[in-house]
Parts: sequence; C-alpha cells; structure tokens
Amino acid sequence: MDGNATQQLMLHNQELREEVRTAREAAEITSRLVVEQFEETERILDLFKSANAQREAVLDAASRISIIAADREGRITLFNRGAERMLGYSAKEVLGKRTPLDFHLADEMKARCGELEGITGGPAEGIDLFLHYARYQVSEEHEWTYVRKDGTPVPVSMSVTGIYTSEKELTGFLCAAMDITQRKRQEESLREAMRAAESANRTKSTFLANMSHELRTPLNAIIGYSELLEEEAEDLELESFVLDLRKIRTAGKHLLALINDVLDLSKIEAGKADLFIERFPIEGMTRDVIATISPLIEKKANRLDLRIAGGLGDLTADLTRTRQVLFNLLSNSAKFTEKGAITLEAFLEPSPAGEMIVFKVRDTGIGMMGDQLSRIFEPFVQADASTTKQFGGTGLGLTISRTFCRMMGGEMTVESEHGKGSTFTVKLPREVKAKQEAAESARKQEGAKVGEKAAGKHGPNTVLVIDDDPAVHDMLATYLRKDGFDVVCAISGEEGLRLAKEVKPMAITLDIIMPGMDGWAVLGALKSNPETASIPVVLITIEEKRDLGFTLGASDYLVKPISHVQLFDTLRKYKHGRVAGRVLVVEDEKTTRDLMVRLVRKEGWNVVEAGNGREALDRVAERKPDLIFLDLMMPVMDGFEFIRELRANKDYHSIPVVVVTAKDLTPEERQWLNGDVYRVFRKGSFSRDELLQQIREIILCEVKPAK
Amino acid sequence: MHKILLVEDNEMNRDMLSRRLTKRDFEVVHAVTGREAIENALSALPDLILMDLSLPDMDGWEATRRIKGQAATAAIPVIALTAHAMAGDREKAMEAGADDYDTKPVEFTRLLQKIESFLGSTQA
Repeated sequence: MDGNATQQLMLHNQELREEVRTAREAAEITSRLVVEQFEETERILDLFKSANAQREAVLDAASRISIIAADREGRITLFNRGAERMLGYSAKEVLGKRTPLDFHLADEMKARCGELEGITGGPAEGIDLFLHYARYQVSEEHEWTYVRKDGTPVPVSMSVTGIYTSEKELTGFLCAAMDITQRKRQEESLREAMRAAESANRTKSTFLANMSHELRTPLNAIIGYSELLEEEAEDLELESFVLDLRKIRTAGKHLLALINDVLDLSKIEAGKADLFIERFPIEGMTRDVIATISPLIEKKANRLDLRIAGGLGDLTADLTRTRQVLFNLLSNSAKFTEKGAITLEAFLEPSPAGEMIVFKVRDTGIGMMGDQLSRIFEPFVQADASTTKQFGGTGLGLTISRTFCRMMGGEMTVESEHGKGSTFTVKLPREVKAKQEAAESARKQEGAKVGEKAAGKHGPNTVLVIDDDPAVHDMLATYLRKDGFDVVCAISGEEGLRLAKEVKPMAITLDIIMPGMDGWAVLGALKSNPETASIPVVLITIEEKRDLGFTLGASDYLVKPISHVQLFDTLRKYKHGRVAGRVLVVEDEKTTRDLMVRLVRKEGWNVVEAGNGREALDRVAERKPDLIFLDLMMPVMDGFEFIRELRANKDYHSIPVVVVTAKDLTPEERQWLNGDVYRVFRKGSFSRDELLQQIREIILCEVKPAK
Repeated sequence: MHKILLVEDNEMNRDMLSRRLTKRDFEVVHAVTGREAIENALSALPDLILMDLSLPDMDGWEATRRIKGQAATAAIPVIALTAHAMAGDREKAMEAGADDYDTKPVEFTRLLQKIESFLGSTQA
C-alpha cells in the first residue's frame, strides 16, 4: 500500500467513526426522548386515572345532590348515586334511555320555557331549554320540581351547566340539583308561624282596644263621683275630705292617662289609628301646650325657655296628636330634669319634599347613655327599668309620639349626653296628608288604567269589597279572584255606594267600622235605593251584631277573622248561573270518578259520568257538555282515541277538555295533547287537595255556563 | 232653666252626670236606650241632648240620625259622648248629625263649656 492509499483509508476510517458517533448520539437522544415521552404519558395517565377516580368519588359522595348529565339530544350520559336516591331510578335504567325531561313537570317546563323566551327572545322547547340555559349561562339556581319514579314530587334547587369540547363546542349539559323539601317545610312553618303571630297580635290589639273601652266606663264614674263629692265637701267646708277626694281623682286621672296610652298603642298596632287633619296656627298650638305643661315644669324648679320663630303661620296636621307629641316630650323633660332649663324651639326648615316645621325640646336633665338611647323608642322600655319606679309612666309615650310623627309623614329623633341632658327633635311637613287621601291618590295614580280595565271587565260574577283597610282589599281580592269572581274595591262608604250603582255587582262585602260613613249607614243607603236594594250584602266585621245586621237587610254576616273557605261558601250562593253548566267526567276508576263527581256537583253543576271513551262519546252526543274531565288510560276506548274522535266533530271543538292522568306522558304524547286539551294534570304530582282546588278554579273561571 | 236630655245606659254614669248637671241648675231628663232617646226627645223637647254612643238596641249614631231626621227635634243640639275613642268615632258622630263630640271619661268643666256654648251662659 502506498502512502496515498493509507492516507485515504485513514480519512475514511475517521469519517466512519464520526458517523457511528453521530448515530450513537442520535440513538441516545431518541431513546431518552422516547423514555421521557413514555414517562410523561404514564404521568398523564396516572393523573387522568386519579382525576377520574376523584370525579367518581365526588359524584358518589354527593349523595344528597343529584347530578345528571345529558347530550344535546337529551340522552342521559351520567346519573350519579344522588340522582338514583332522589329519583328512585337506577343509573342502568336511565343511561342512554331516558331524558331529563322525564323528571320534570310539563307545566313547569312550559312556564320556564316561556320565561326564557322572554329573556332571549327566541323560542325554547323541551330539552332546548337546558341547552339554552347552558348557552346563555343562565346557570344560577332555580327552584324546580322533580318527579320521582313513583310519581311523587320533590322540590329541588337546580343549576344547569354546559359541557363543552376543547373546541368550545357545546356537547351537552349537566343538572346539579339539591333536595329542598326540608327547607320548603321550614319556610312554610316559618310563614305559618308568622301568620299566627300576626293574627295573635291583631287579636291582642283588638282585645286591648276593647278592654280599654271597658276600663274607661267605670273610670268615668270614679273620676266623676270624686269630683262631685269634692265640690260637695267644699260646699260643706269638709277640708280633710276635700284633700282625700282630690287624691282619688288624681289617681283616677293617672290611671286614665295610662289606659289612653295603651289604647293608643293598640290602635296603632291594630292599624286603626287615624289622623284627623285640620289647619291650625302653630303659635296658638304651642301656647296651649305651654299653658298645660307650665305647672309640671315649675314643680321641679325648672325654667322654660321659648324660642319660637316669628311668622310660623299655620300647620295642616292632626292638632290633637301634635299637641300630644309636644306635651309628651316636655313632660318627659320635666320629669327627668331638676333645677335646670327646658327649651322649646320651633322654626321652619326647607326640604326637597316641601317646607318642614321643626320642634326641638332640649333639657339639662339626667340624659342617657348610648345603649339607652338606642332602645328609647321601643314600647314598654324606658331608659332604665328603675326609672319607671322613680319617675312613673308607661314607657309608651315616646313610642306613640314617634309613630304619630311618622304617620304624619314626619320623624322624631333624639340626641343625648349622659349627665348633661337630652334633645328631642320633631320634624313635620307643613301640609300633612291624611292617610285616606294619600291612599286614594295612590290608587288614582295607578288608577286610570286599572279603573278602565275594571270597568270593561265587570263580569256577571263581580264582588264589590267595601273596606277602609287596603290590606283587607288585597286579601279578599286574592281569595275571590282565585274562586273565579271579578273584584272591585272601595276604600270608603261613599266610594262603595258610587261603585255599587256603577258596577251593579253580584254581591257586596261590607266592613262596619269605617271612618266617615260607617257600614250601617252604607247598608241603609244601599237598601233604600231601588237600584241597589236587590244586591246581596255580606257584612264582614269584628262586631258581633248579627241581629242588627239582618234587621237592616244584610244577607250574611261574617265575623273577622274570616277564612277563605268561609268566604267562598258564603259568596258562591250568589253566583250567577251556577246550576246551568254540565260537566262530563270520564274516568274508569270508580273511586276517583265518584270523588270528582261529588266535587263538581258541590259547585252546583250538573254532572254526567262515563267509564271509558266510547261511553263518553255517547254522553256527548246526548247533550253537549260545557267541560270534560278526561282520564287517559281506560279500557275499550282510551283518552287519546276519545280526543281524536271528539275533535273530528266540528261542533265539539269549543268544549274544554282537562286531562287528569296518572300516566307518565312521553314528550310526543304531551306535544300531541297540547294542541287539543285545555290542561293536563298529573295525578301523582298534585296532592288531592291541590287537584280539587285546581278543578274548582277551572270550573269557576273558564266555563261559561249555558244560559 | 235649661232642659237637658241625658242618654246613657250605664246607671252610675247617668246618676253622676245628672247630679252634677242638676247642681249647675239644669233640668235633667233621662233616656237609657236609643229608642227611649228618640221618644223622650220628642215628648220633652229638651234644649240640648247629651248622647252616649254605645247603647243597647239602637246605637247612639242611629238615634242621633233619627232625632236629626224628624222636624220637631232636628234643631236640638246633640253632643255625642263615647268611651270608644276608636278611629273615626268623631267623624262618625258628626256624620250622624251630632253638633259636637266629647270622649268619656267626661272632663266636666270642658263639657260644661261645650253645653254653654250652645245654650248661652246659664250661671245668670
């Protein structure tokens, strides 16, 4: 080998070596990469496994929460243990076979779809509702009713979340629902307790008002006789008798003041306190108050400073109450101040709502601490329980005074420094509006349209409610409308008489105790006018004067508090055309049929029965009914077939059909029925009472009986 | 001497008030019920009527309404008295035709002032 060849061989050898090294390095890198990749995959796989396990665990642990997921077509893809427990289906039964719609009430779905359409503008139906919820992220919790496999309803709080692919495409949705039966029950018992407490409070207030009245009558005799004897003792110059008799009289007057306070408070609580608005000069009023209070202020060596601004002019308010408020504040100051100064200030202050008159009563008395201040306006609370012993009083004065200020559209406030004295401030609008006036103007405001609507809509079953309490209007109207009556309300006797002539109602409910024209006067006026004499009047009042009521021409007499049932039973007698209607009940199950027949008959309707669709068609052919209650699952001819046959005849199109069924309707069936029936009731999803109430409402509202 | 018809169903209050009025030189005629009030108003033709509002049979509002409704007695001033002091009593009394209104227990001096404002001074 020559040197050149050797040279070449070496070069070649070196190149080869280089290549081998490169290849080896590449292989090393590749294998490292592969391993890394492998490890990464394993790590991810691990993560995924544990996440999946975690997910399963979460889903199952949430046994009180039902979690149901479904795809876009509504096929259930996930049904956790909570869902199994809550709904009574097993996951196996529902996965891929059912849709979440099966667990919902048709009516509720329909209502929610309606709501959603209102928000989004677009139509929504069936499963779309949930997809819409997901899409529009209307995911906040709503109350829903789930229907269990056995048909019983479960109230739930449910939220809907969308399920998306990584490409942000919506593939389904997930409903998480929590059973709120317990919460509902608690809410209901709370409401019940509230109602009971309110009613007890009203009873208490009425009792107190009556009691105060009863107490005042003998007190009248005590005070009167002691005054009488005092005069006679003076005439006979029996000095020692005079002093003792004066003590009896003073004690009697004190007792009377206490009773008056209690009466005031109970009137306020019973909502029976009224204002008597009149116009009076401010300076004259303060002069009166000062004249009355002066002896009390001088008793403890106090000085009264007056800072009444000039030219205050007149105040339009309740004179007695305003005087009472100032007197109360001044006498409090006099009570709690000794050898000090009491100041009465009065001036005008502009405010956005018009001119306000401000009274300030300032004293240099014992004052109050922070916590005493905060409780000073509560009834039966004085700054300190011991003050009652030391200073007397009921502890009601300030509560009453502030309430009167507020009733007049004003306010009372207090500032105080312990040991230095207190300042009470009263602000009243210069022109106080009477409550009734305010209420009437409020009614007029919302007025015109309601009035028009009401005027156009006085059906044959209109009830006129005459009561001075708007709360009573609300309550009676709610009850009566539920029972299918139209309702018109009057806030006073005068308005009542006017409306009675205008509206010619089917019946009138009348309160007795009203300011201005009372119920007796209204009743008299109604009965003496030939236009209104024949309208039945039902007296609704707290006074038990039945005989007088009937003598004066009332048709019925109800003593407050009245129940819905009582009201309905009384008024339905007067309903027009109540025996003219004909109702067909189609139901194969005898007990249910009997129950419905009894109920419908009780409402004064004629009832015909049928045990299946074929019989029902025969009954319809005999005479066209005004309403049909229809079961779906029946032998011979079922409800669907019956409807098909019925609708085939044009004459029968107008008959409302109400389906009452235990059948679990499929969406297609529901869809099919929707076009043809008035309403569908699921037997299982209503309590018996609810169903009866619904049926009653339909009979009352929707069916126009044949004349 | 002025004649006052005192309509009051409570015996003690009737006795007490009529004695005090008699002491002030009024002639006092009584009525215990609403119907009696209407009858006595017509037969005695008093100068003034003190009318309690809560009475057995017919109440004071109705009695007042009827007294004001018949020509012979329509001009007699009626002062309504009530221990009720419930909302609207004053308006109801005025609505029924009463000329004035006072609450019980009666503050005698105030009542006397009211009576005198209708009859003129009696202490002549």
